[in-house]
Amino acid sequence: MKYMLLIYADPAWREGEQTQKLMSDIVTQHVRLGEDLRAAGVAYSGHQLQPAATATTVRTAGGAQTLHDGPFAETHEQLGGYYLIDVPDLDAAIAWARRIPAPEKGSVEVRPIVER
Amino acid sequence: MTAEAAFREARARVVAALTARFRDLDLAEEAFADACLATVTAWRKQGPPLDTTAWLYRAAHRRAVDALRRRRVRANAAFDERPPPPTPEDSVLNIDEPIPDERLRLIFICCHPAIAAEARAALTLKVVCGLSTERLARAFLVAEPAMLQRITRAKRKIRDAGVPFETPRREMWAERLEAVLATLEIAYGQAYEDAAGLSDAAGLAGEVLRLSGVLAQLLPAEPEVLGLAALVRLAEARRPARLASDGAMVPLSEQDTALWDSTLIREGADLLDRAGRLKQAGPYQLMAAIHAGHTTRIESGSTPWRDILGLYDALLHVRPSPVVAVNRAVALAEVAGPIAGLEALDAVAVSRLEGWRPIHAARAALLERAGRSAEAAVALQAALALDPPPGERLFLTRKLRALEQTPC
Repeated sequence: MKYMLLIYADPAWREGEQTQKLMSDIVTQHVRLGEDLRAAGVAYSGHQLQPAATATTVRTAGGAQTLHDGPFAETHEQLGGYYLIDVPDLDAAIAWARRIPAPEKGSVEVRPIVER
Repeated sequence: MTAEAAFREARARVVAALTARFRDLDLAEEAFADACLATVTAWRKQGPPLDTTAWLYRAAHRRAVDALRRRRVRANAAFDERPPPPTPEDSVLNIDEPIPDERLRLIFICCHPAIAAEARAALTLKVVCGLSTERLARAFLVAEPAMLQRITRAKRKIRDAGVPFETPRREMWAERLEAVLATLEIAYGQAYEDAAGLSDAAGLAGEVLRLSGVLAQLLPAEPEVLGLAALVRLAEARRPARLASDGAMVPLSEQDTALWDSTLIREGADLLDRAGRLKQAGPYQLMAAIHAGHTTRIESGSTPWRDILGLYDALLHVRPSPVVAVNRAVALAEVAGPIAGLEALDAVAVSRLEGWRPIHAARAALLERAGRSAEAAVALQAALALDPPPGERLFLTRKLRALEQTPC
């Protein structure tokens, strides 16, 4: 079986006084977790996402698609899958997001990944 | 030309060229501001340069390169490395190199549809036109820190989400241009609200006139771009007649056409004509045509309401909105009488418009014409409760007083 592990956190943690310290602690722990996964023979990939403020949402409703500045925010729609793509810029990412099949109504959030 | 006027003239060209070159809005804005400061000093000593724009571009370019070098040195210092040798980018700019015209590219970046429309309008006026955050905050009726945050957030999104710094490919123009035009429409809407033309919001009108003109010049084969430039001119032409000498609002149909700005009307009509020859109608051309319809009153003495109603019908078809439906109802009343207008007004989904002042004002006018004074007074009170600008408040209050003195 393959599983996707989704990480949620209050974005406020990025703005606290201890951010620098907290950030490096967390990065260290992620590195250790990655090593443990590899040692255990578990195939994995993972990324840190840019803050939600960098998100763009492509909404489909009644056959029309519209762009919205900001993250996906509807409560009655649920995460159903994902694509990870490597393209030159946001326009290219949005163009592919538009092609993701959606039922009658749905949304695709386009969120950049932190490049290291 | 004063230094300030020369800077305004040069700004869009210089900031756009620097943005295209360095792919960094903040760097471009800061380098331009620094160059302006340095120019003021030089200007005082030696008099104005022959070509201020070229002078500013060279000075700003040099400053941007310096800032980048300092940034690199700082970043490397953190890792205890030696500063890198200068790159070809650092070399002095060829003095004869013409400034590339990257204004369209800059407008496309600032008006990207992945940025919220309100933020786009503020960002464009800040980056392209150089309006200060403080002035924008007053024009958009928000606190200065909120405006600063809106602009900072938009810039961060451009940087971190990978908004492209290239002019979009042709097949993407429909959506991208729509976002540009909607941005200018919002900016102009902000300017139009204030009829008195004294506040900073009205000062925006001049900027939107310039910007829409530049866009029409850069994209002469895009009918909707010409349509928007026409729309802004035809609407702005009426500004001198929108308030009476005592400051009260004058409704469009009662305005003294002698006060309308004939130069703007001619420019607007010209642009609309050129747009029409491209044979591809769209909402901005339709809106401009409605405004143009009103200007025909200058010569004929009457408003062609039947034509205007037809244009509203077409607009409602291509860009349906309750606001358009309300305006159509007003036009219908002129053609078919106030009762027909009131019926059309009632048919508009009103719940969403309860807080929208013009619907109450329109209802009041139609009720008054239909002789239903008591109901008209109620509608006027509803409009007055929605915080109208001073000129409209005065107009509505007088109407209300007149109604209350008429026995029903």
